[in-house]
Amino acid sequence: MIECRNLTKNYGTLAAVSDFGLHLQEHEFISILGPSGCGKSTLLRLIAGLEVPSEGQVFLQKKEISGKKIILPPERRKFGMIFQDFALFPHLSVEANIAFGVNGSKSEKQKRVRELLKLVSLPHLAEKMPHQISGGEQQRIAVARALAPRPRMILMDEPFNNLDYQLRLQLRRDIRDILKHEGVATILVTHDQVEAITFADRVLLMHKGKLVQSGTPEEIYQHPQTLWASSFVGEANHLKVEWRDSSLISPFGSLDVPEGIGKETRLMMVRPEDFILESRNDHEANGIVKTVDFSGSVQIVGIELKSGETIQVSGSPHLLWRPEDPVKITPERYLCYNSSGNRLNGFSAGNASK
Amino acid sequence: MSQSTHSGGWNYFTLALALLFALPFFSLIVTAASAEENVWGHLISTVMPGYLKNTFLLMLGVGSGTLLLGVSTSWLISMTEFPGRRMLEWGLLLPLAFPGYIIAMVYVELLEYSGPVQAQIRLWFGWNNFQDYWFPPIASVGGAITMLSLVLYPYVYLLARIAFLQQPATLLESSRMLGKSSRNSFFHVSLPLARPAIVVGVSLAMMETLADFGTMQLFAVQTFTTGIYHTWFGAYNAPGAAQLSLSLLMFISVFVFLERYSRKQQRSHTKNSIHIPHPRYKLSGISSLSAFAFCLVPVVFGFALPAGLLIQWAAKSWREVMLERFFSDAGNSLILAVLTAFLAVLLGVLMAYGSRISKRRRIRWAVRTVSLGYTFPGPVVALGVLLPFAWFDRTIDAWMQESFGISSGYLLSGTLFILVFAYLVRFLALAYGTAESGFGRITSAMEDASRSLGKNTWQTLKRVHLPLLRGSMLTAGLLVFVDVMKELPATLMLQPFNFSTLATRAYGYATEELLREASLWCLTIVLVGLFPVIFLNRQLRESAPQNYLESDHD
Repeated sequence: MIECRNLTKNYGTLAAVSDFGLHLQEHEFISILGPSGCGKSTLLRLIAGLEVPSEGQVFLQKKEISGKKIILPPERRKFGMIFQDFALFPHLSVEANIAFGVNGSKSEKQKRVRELLKLVSLPHLAEKMPHQISGGEQQRIAVARALAPRPRMILMDEPFNNLDYQLRLQLRRDIRDILKHEGVATILVTHDQVEAITFADRVLLMHKGKLVQSGTPEEIYQHPQTLWASSFVGEANHLKVEWRDSSLISPFGSLDVPEGIGKETRLMMVRPEDFILESRNDHEANGIVKTVDFSGSVQIVGIELKSGETIQVSGSPHLLWRPEDPVKITPERYLCYNSSGNRLNGFSAGNASK
Repeated sequence: MSQSTHSGGWNYFTLALALLFALPFFSLIVTAASAEENVWGHLISTVMPGYLKNTFLLMLGVGSGTLLLGVSTSWLISMTEFPGRRMLEWGLLLPLAFPGYIIAMVYVELLEYSGPVQAQIRLWFGWNNFQDYWFPPIASVGGAITMLSLVLYPYVYLLARIAFLQQPATLLESSRMLGKSSRNSFFHVSLPLARPAIVVGVSLAMMETLADFGTMQLFAVQTFTTGIYHTWFGAYNAPGAAQLSLSLLMFISVFVFLERYSRKQQRSHTKNSIHIPHPRYKLSGISSLSAFAFCLVPVVFGFALPAGLLIQWAAKSWREVMLERFFSDAGNSLILAVLTAFLAVLLGVLMAYGSRISKRRRIRWAVRTVSLGYTFPGPVVALGVLLPFAWFDRTIDAWMQESFGISSGYLLSGTLFILVFAYLVRFLALAYGTAESGFGRITSAMEDASRSLGKNTWQTLKRVHLPLLRGSMLTAGLLVFVDVMKELPATLMLQPFNFSTLATRAYGYATEELLREASLWCLTIVLVGLFPVIFLNRQLRESAPQNYLESDHD
């Protein structure tokens, strides 16, 4: 239903968003994930019509709504937006806030307000003023207000940032359920990878104004498109490799990689859980345990390789490691990256391959 | 409790000070109640209807005048961008430097029958006398409304502007996203959010209007303030004047309440929000030109034109006026202003500190009552101060006559002491309020630290508070200084025989229709009045968030 083509926004010489493409289906939930300052809020505001693009277009149901020729004002787009500070109108009661965007007779408005208060399970707060209710309640009211005019889509800008950790988990689930129940397409902007992954069907990874990768959370985790993506989503070990005498030489010995890929490869990426860790005597070992962080379900073992590099490996909690233990370590699954940090397609070692 | 914190002495001291400065108010009540015949009936059948009518007209006129001028200019200045905006941003505060009676004097001179404007018109159209044409009379209720609107709208401008700037952008954006156009969003979100601040501004303007004496007297508009003056000086009817004073205070209390209530409301409106201001609307072509012209009008008529005329008249007349008279008046004003400012700051700091360390509600309440003095109009304060001192003088005199057969005469009445006391009643609140907000920045942990390091309350005040309060004390002193320099009615009623200040001499010239001779005096008062304007402008800049460009990019 929403499509962005070559969307670009420049502030002076700074390109906040550059050449961004996006396609959102009906009822789909996507999250735009990126570090702060990557331009994700600007992208959301471009879609909302709160900013004017420098280049490119936004289409709604195949009709252009932002571009060189036309800028449909935000009030005519019928998108609901939920802000980081909730932006409830402090001079209006909870009821009046929800009714703000609803058109129709007084009784229709009242009916819609009641429905939504019920939906967010806060019917008892109707007459309260925003400053009289808690942060979590304000958040739900903000959702109710955005949903009240039956928007085509919901845009959320870091909506859980101002809440404490426990409340965040709870609300994230509740609000996702409410939005799913309403069947309204949603774009969530966040810098929190857990939030992005648990909230959405599809994640768009954004870095320095550009789209890095789009896919399901599993796809992004298993096949990160760039080295940056591999360490932004999850933990990653990056190790230097070298193509010599028709084979790819790594700190773990030579790897079985086809020549076309191997010649281009400069770095390999291995997730901490993708190593096989075995206890060996000094002679057969290729590394020494340096640190052990035990955290219940896993232990993170820091290992210094004989080649001098340090890697993080997650080990089973059943086998306890101690500093200075000699170990043999083998990468079970890994991906290859070229000199500019992009993944070399067509090859992946181990079970992760498709 | 007082044993453990050693604040018992402070409590009595603070309470005594508070009571001393509440004395005028009590004396008015006692005097009003002491009327032998029914003064009320007399008042209602004679002057009251006229006072009420004029008061309502003035409130309506000045209220809507300041509202329209203040809100429209503050919105243009804070939400739009046009060439010249930065200059007008502080320029719009300048009319605040003009006391009502001085701008009134200038416009009387300019617009009266024999003034240059009407003379020029007669010349152009060949009219010979006032029967040939109609010209709006300046000495009228309408004239007073125009004058006061021109010098009082900056209150609304100042407060509304801060309110507009502090509105988070997300609120206006929410409104847009919920289907309201930018124009609708202004009326549904911006304006209601700024309403408490606007009400505060209009309330302040209303209090000034009700308290104004000079403009009304010059324009012969009968209101409560001029009524009090005439009832006292014309008829020596103390109970009548006291009752008029209390009626006036009742009107004023409505606005005091409105102002305080709105301030509270405003605080709840600015809670929990991220201060990213809305980007300014860029005006172009005709609309930016009209915005500039619109904002220029009050600056020209409220400041530039009258100040220019005063300079011109002063430049012409200064050789003919008696300069020694000017310097002696200026010296008198200066001495009174410095003395009052010093005492006000001293007492203000002591009371703020006393109220702070006291945990007793009674003390805080008493101190807060004193801060109402600022809302008392000059004639009311003068009367309230005059009556108890006159009673004191009479009692001592009678006792001396009886006991020793000699008359002590007037000991205090007609001295500078009672004038300074009246100023303190009126302006102590200003110093107290500034000191109190200064104390607000000093945490109680700092006090506790000092006390636990072995310093008593006096030593703590000297070594912790005073150094930290220096800035606010200077500000408070400056504000009191300027207000004393401008003060007219209380000085007029209480000044000793053969004594005058810049303000009372200027007013004296004006009543003798020697307005041009008064220009040097007026100009001096306006120049002094510019100081707080500069100070306010700085405060305005500090209150404006500047970080929206950076945060916009995320």
